[in-house]
Amino acid sequence: MIDLLGYGAFFLVNALIFGVLCLGLNVQWGQTGLFNVGVAGFAAIGAYVSAILTTPDAADRIGGFGWPILAGWLAAMLVAGAAAALVGLATLRLRADYLAMTTFGIAVTIQVIALNATALTGGPFGIAFIPRPFSSLAETPIAFNAANLALTGFVVLGLFLILETLTRSPWGRVLRAIREDEAAAASLGKNVNFHRLQAFALGGAIMGLAGAMQAHFIGFIAPDNYLSILTFQVWAMLIVGGSGNNRGALIGAVIVWALWSLSSLAVGTFVAPAFQARAAALQIVAIGVALAAILLVRPRGLVGERATVSRDVEALAGESTSPHEPVRD
Amino acid sequence: MSLQFLADGLFAGALIGLGAVGLTLTYSILRFSNFTHGDFISWGAYLALGTVGALTGWIGPAARFMPFSFGWPLIVGGLLAMALTGLLALLLDAALFKPLRRTGHGIVMVIASFGASLALRAMLEFLFTSEPAYFSRAIQIAIPVGLGIRVTPDQAAMMGLALVVVIAMHLLLTRTHIGRSMRAVSENPALARVVGIDVAAVIRATWLIGGALACVSGIMLGLTVQIRPQMGFDLLLPLFAAAILGGIGSVWGAIIGGLIVGVAEAGAVQLIGSEYRSAVAFVLLIAMLLVRPRGLFGVREG
Amino acid sequence: MTGVPALVAHGIEAGYEPGLPIVKGASVTVGRGEIVVLLGPNGAGKSTLMKAIAGLVPIARGTVTLAGAEITQTAAHRMVRLGLAFVPQTENVFTTMSVEENLVLAGHVAPASVRAARLAAMLELFPDLARQRGLAAGRLSGGQRQMLAVARALMIEPHVLMLDEPSAGLSPKLVRDVFAKLVEIRASGVTILMVEQNARAALAIADRAYILADGRNRHEGSAAALAADPDIAEHYLGLGGADASVVGRSAP
Repeated sequence: MIDLLGYGAFFLVNALIFGVLCLGLNVQWGQTGLFNVGVAGFAAIGAYVSAILTTPDAADRIGGFGWPILAGWLAAMLVAGAAAALVGLATLRLRADYLAMTTFGIAVTIQVIALNATALTGGPFGIAFIPRPFSSLAETPIAFNAANLALTGFVVLGLFLILETLTRSPWGRVLRAIREDEAAAASLGKNVNFHRLQAFALGGAIMGLAGAMQAHFIGFIAPDNYLSILTFQVWAMLIVGGSGNNRGALIGAVIVWALWSLSSLAVGTFVAPAFQARAAALQIVAIGVALAAILLVRPRGLVGERATVSRDVEALAGESTSPHEPVRD
Repeated sequence: MSLQFLADGLFAGALIGLGAVGLTLTYSILRFSNFTHGDFISWGAYLALGTVGALTGWIGPAARFMPFSFGWPLIVGGLLAMALTGLLALLLDAALFKPLRRTGHGIVMVIASFGASLALRAMLEFLFTSEPAYFSRAIQIAIPVGLGIRVTPDQAAMMGLALVVVIAMHLLLTRTHIGRSMRAVSENPALARVVGIDVAAVIRATWLIGGALACVSGIMLGLTVQIRPQMGFDLLLPLFAAAILGGIGSVWGAIIGGLIVGVAEAGAVQLIGSEYRSAVAFVLLIAMLLVRPRGLFGVREG
Repeated sequence: MTGVPALVAHGIEAGYEPGLPIVKGASVTVGRGEIVVLLGPNGAGKSTLMKAIAGLVPIARGTVTLAGAEITQTAAHRMVRLGLAFVPQTENVFTTMSVEENLVLAGHVAPASVRAARLAAMLELFPDLARQRGLAAGRLSGGQRQMLAVARALMIEPHVLMLDEPSAGLSPKLVRDVFAKLVEIRASGVTILMVEQNARAALAIADRAYILADGRNRHEGSAAALAADPDIAEHYLGLGGADASVVGRSAP
């Protein structure tokens, strides 16, 4: 029973950290319509920045500054946000597809750096001994997991409230107006590209925070944690929850992570070791198919977005044609 | 400094360019960046592996075309695999992209293609595991061709094939009705319908051709390196970079973009080592987007 | 107007979004060999009506018949095969293709045996295009582009030719050239329906005209009668009274 509670807390911490990633993606995609296929890259930036700054001095690596965890988190947000701003500067004025390719590219590039800049990142072996919050409680897993759940829950709640306030603020309304109809928003006198840049950087910073939180909770990071499967999981979570909706983003994260963990557990328990790699592959196929099916059948997600789009833009939206309009057959 | 890197770069570039031709076609006609294109390359290679295996199993082992590592089963099997990869692309369109074209925005198709890409790749891992496979285990002797450059017969054959394919694509697009129709839909789908072009048929042709071209790059890659489920996905960033470099919609642009990416990667390997090879395409992509987003030969942005 | 009309659109309700019709029950009949012009203020639904007839905008209600056969909701690319050609107002040529490629592409719906003859006929009808046949259409002047769009539409030897504001953006001299060409085309037996803002020039060559407002028929009649009606001229045609040389309501 205690074990189960402990596992429950452990599961929820992981799920909520995914929830933070989803909230970050929701600022970019859900609120502003900016496509990011490099979620894993921004999470990796946050994780590595915080790990390098907070780990104790290590002989074989640059870094190891022994900063406090909180300072590491803040630095993670700053650096990931700045990276997102740079990507945004290069591509936000262009067609949405270019942003997709560029964010994909940055995730690949960060993966390459993590793998090869051994002096900084530990190379393929990654960075270990990352300080964990409440590590003094590590002897009793339930207390450790519960304390971390409280901390993670606190961060998620705070972030959620901030983002909800932002969503309802004039700034949030401008973002949605841009998402619905860029031309109309521009005609209302809004600096479209600057608003998008802000949203993209904010989303990137939140992803960086999530990466750092995960690194510190697990205590160990390696390049393999940040493959495109991570990006894909976050997208699946946001789409299940319904993009544009912060509550949905969190619910989607918990649902998808629960399904993912359960199916991994089932694969580990019921599948013979020789076939586990294949079963894991099938697990990914299933979630890929599920994501495509949700896009087809329930494009607004399982929770969906409340209608908060301002009326003036809705009225205008009917007349213009989006530059991303797909070709019809 | 040996000039070998130039030959290696040109060969890798021809391979990237062929893949990028398919990508640039589907992008300019369907108007979304298709993340499954890399996985069509992998599927093409495995489908060719399957057809070649079936052919030799059925008729028995065939003699190699000396000095190459392959014989007629690879040619027949390759043609079959091209058709099958085209069909795979067509199937994916019917199941996923076509319904989304009716309802969704273009960018939703990119997400869907990202999901489909992962599923296609994982499916290959399920079927074949991530162990590498080979068309042939025959050892190729690289032949010196001057200036200190050595080329294997297979590499030379593949370069020739790439050239033939590009010329065929050029002729298709400029001399045939379906090719002109593809260019028309790419420029202006509404006007294309007005002049009597069946846009749905053009889209089907585009998937078939894009899939077949992806299969050719998969076979080239499989013949000269190895076959892995990840092989196409790992090629995706260079493909995007080549397509953007050359200008979306331009066949020759995609090939030249591919050669530039290939040579730049080989040059980087020569100068700073092989570790950062895959970052080169990203740097080229960003540089092009900053300086000239419509590419070297593009007519419009995207 | 005798026999079966070339084109009838009856009670058309059409628009881009379901439940938001722009054309609200308009009807148009074009007799064989006629030139008919659709006039009306901006936003009256003239262009939308024409695009709906061409199969480019969904029709919610009403029927379209071509030479007596119903063609409502036929896909746009099949309309061409049935002999209904449409020249959009803007972006009406493929700019990245040569003049000749534009024509060849459009001529493909015709039987293979007659394509070469059609191309030759078009180049003869439009000598300007013949001189520029290898040039990318994007490099043509505005007037030449309009001529190419018309020639492209004629490649299928249509029964009915529909044009959306063929004079838009052209100088008065070019407008005269284009309209003179339309008269020449009608003389060869092609029925013409067009939308025009340039009411005076259009009424000068048209047989009949319809005036649309708010998606509905408002007036119709012979071109001469409508042009002569001072009330209509003032309210719908922007002609400022019977004397078209004086512009504005306060004219004496």
